[in-house]
Amino acid sequence: MERNGSAISTDRTAKLAPGDVFEKYRGTFYTIIVVTILIIAWYFAANRIQNTLLLPYFQETAWRFFTAWFDYRIMSNLALTLRRVFTGFLYAFIIGIPLGLLMGYSQTAMQAFSPIINSVRQVPIMAWVPLSIIWFGLGDGPTVFLIAVSAVFPLVINTIAGVHGIDPNYYNAARSMGATLPDIIRDIVVPGSLPSILTGCRLAMGFGWMSVICAEFIATSAGFGFLMVEAQVRLETAELYALMIMSGLVGFIIDKGFLIVEKKLTSWRYKDGIVGS
Amino acid sequence: MALLEVKGITKTFTRRKKTPHIVLENMSFSVEQGQYVSLLGPSGCGKTTLLTVMGGFLTPDSGQIILAGNKVEKPGPDRGFVFQNYALFPWMTVKENILYSLQVKKLSQREQKERLHELLEISHLFGSENKYPVQLSGGMQQRVAVVRALASRPEILLLDEPLGAIDFQMRELLQEELAALVEGAKTTVVMVTHDVSESVYLSDRVIVMSANKGQIVKDVYINLDRPRDRQSPEFKGYVSEITELVRQAFSEKAVDIELPSGFAETNVNYNSQASFTDAFNRMSNRYSRVNHGRAAK
Repeated sequence: MERNGSAISTDRTAKLAPGDVFEKYRGTFYTIIVVTILIIAWYFAANRIQNTLLLPYFQETAWRFFTAWFDYRIMSNLALTLRRVFTGFLYAFIIGIPLGLLMGYSQTAMQAFSPIINSVRQVPIMAWVPLSIIWFGLGDGPTVFLIAVSAVFPLVINTIAGVHGIDPNYYNAARSMGATLPDIIRDIVVPGSLPSILTGCRLAMGFGWMSVICAEFIATSAGFGFLMVEAQVRLETAELYALMIMSGLVGFIIDKGFLIVEKKLTSWRYKDGIVGS
Repeated sequence: MALLEVKGITKTFTRRKKTPHIVLENMSFSVEQGQYVSLLGPSGCGKTTLLTVMGGFLTPDSGQIILAGNKVEKPGPDRGFVFQNYALFPWMTVKENILYSLQVKKLSQREQKERLHELLEISHLFGSENKYPVQLSGGMQQRVAVVRALASRPEILLLDEPLGAIDFQMRELLQEELAALVEGAKTTVVMVTHDVSESVYLSDRVIVMSANKGQIVKDVYINLDRPRDRQSPEFKGYVSEITELVRQAFSEKAVDIELPSGFAETNVNYNSQASFTDAFNRMSNRYSRVNHGRAAK
C-alpha cells in the first residue's frame, strides 16, 4: 500500500515541486490532507446537527482555539498543569531509573522487587485518587503524586528492558580492559540502556500528561483539566473542544521534543549520526 | 620460561539431570613469547572454553593458567581479548573505544594521545577516530577491535574466532590485514578458529583439538615465510595435513557446552551424522574454493 501510494504521489508532485523537497515533507502533506477532510466533515456535520451543545460549529471552535493561546486564564492554568507534569515526571524519573537499572543489573533485586511492582502497577490510576486526596489533601499534591505513579512504571519497565538488551560481551570486553563496577555502570549499563530509557521517558510523559488531566477533574480547583470541567459545567462545548484539541497538541509537542532529545543523545545508533568530538 | 603456560586445565559442565560433560581434561601446553598459536577443532572440542578460561571469564575445575609468571584469576588488561562479534561499544567513537582501557586506568591525556597515534598508525584508521562503530565497514571494525585489545600493551592477544562472522570473500582479505596488524604490534597471540586455511595462513603453530575431552590431537608447527602464499605447495600441504587431523578429531561426538553469557562455541552444529558431513564439506570446500577463486583470476 505504502509502495503504491508513493509511486503515484511522486509522479504527481514532479509538477508541483522538486522531488527532493516533496520527499522530505511527504508525511506532513498526507497529514494535512487527512486533517482537511476531517475539518470538512466536521463543518458539514455541525451544520446538519444544528446543536452546538453536542457538536459546536467548526468556525466557533477554531476561533476559541486560536484565542485561547492569548487568554491569560487558560495559559496560566496550562502553565500550572505543565509544571505539575514535569514535577511528577521528575519524581518518577528519580525513583524509576535507578530502580530499573538495579533490577535490570541484579537478578536478586529483580526477584525481590518484580512481584511487588507488577502487582502495584495493575491498580488503575483512578483508583489512586481517593488515597492521594487522603494523603495530600487538594491541590498540587495529589496531582503530582498521580502523575508520578503513572509515569514511574513505564520508566522502570523500559529501563529494565534496556539493561537486559545489552550484549553480555560488552561487560566481558569492559572487564577485560580493566573496568571496575562503577566504570561498568557508567560506561556500559547507562549508555547501553539509554535508548530504551528514553523510550520509557516518552511513554511516561505521555501517561503523565493523560493522568494529570484526570487528576485535575477531581483533586484540584485549578489547572487545565479543571478548565475543561468548568467549560462543561458552563455548557461551553466549543471551549471544551478547543481545550481538548489543545491538550492533544501540547502532548504531541512534548513527545516531539523528547523524540528530538532521543535522537541527539543516541546519534551513535544512526549511520549519518552527528559526531561529537 | 614460556610466556603462557596452560597447566592441567580440566573443565566439566554439569547440567541438571544429565551426566557431567568433561569439556577439557588435563589440558597442558605452553606458548613462547611472540608466537602466534591457533586452537583448531570441531565445535564442542572446548577451544572457546579454553580461551574463555585464559581470558579469566571462566574458572577451571582444576589446573591453572600462568601468564608471565602470574596466575590468571579474573579478566584483566594484561590479556587483550577480541570477541567473536568484536563487542565494540556502539556509543563510543573509535577513539573512545580504542582508549577505553587507558581511560579506565586514568592515564594522562598526553599518554592517551600518544598511544592513540601509534595505534591509529598501525591500524590505518586515521581520519576515522571520531566515527561510531555503526559507520565502519566490517574490516575497519575488526581493526578497531584488535587495536583496542592492544591498547593496554597486553602480554598476549586472545582472539575468539575473529573472522567467524565474515563472509568468505572478505575473510582472506581480513586475514591479511590481521596478519599485518599483529606482525606490526609484535605480540603473542592465541586464536580460536575452525577454519583450517585461516589457521595455516596466520599461525606459527596450530594445535588441533579433538572433541573428546579437548585432547590435543597434534601440535603442528607451520614453518613458512611471511607473508604466506596460499598457492604454494607447502601451504597446501599443511592445509591437507591439518584437514586430515580435524577429520580424525570429529570421530568423537561433541556435546553442547554452556559457556558464560556472550560466548558461544562455533555456531555450526556437528552433532548428527548428517551435519557432520555437511560441516566437513564446508571446511574442505572453503579450501578448494580458495583455489578456484585464484585460478579464475
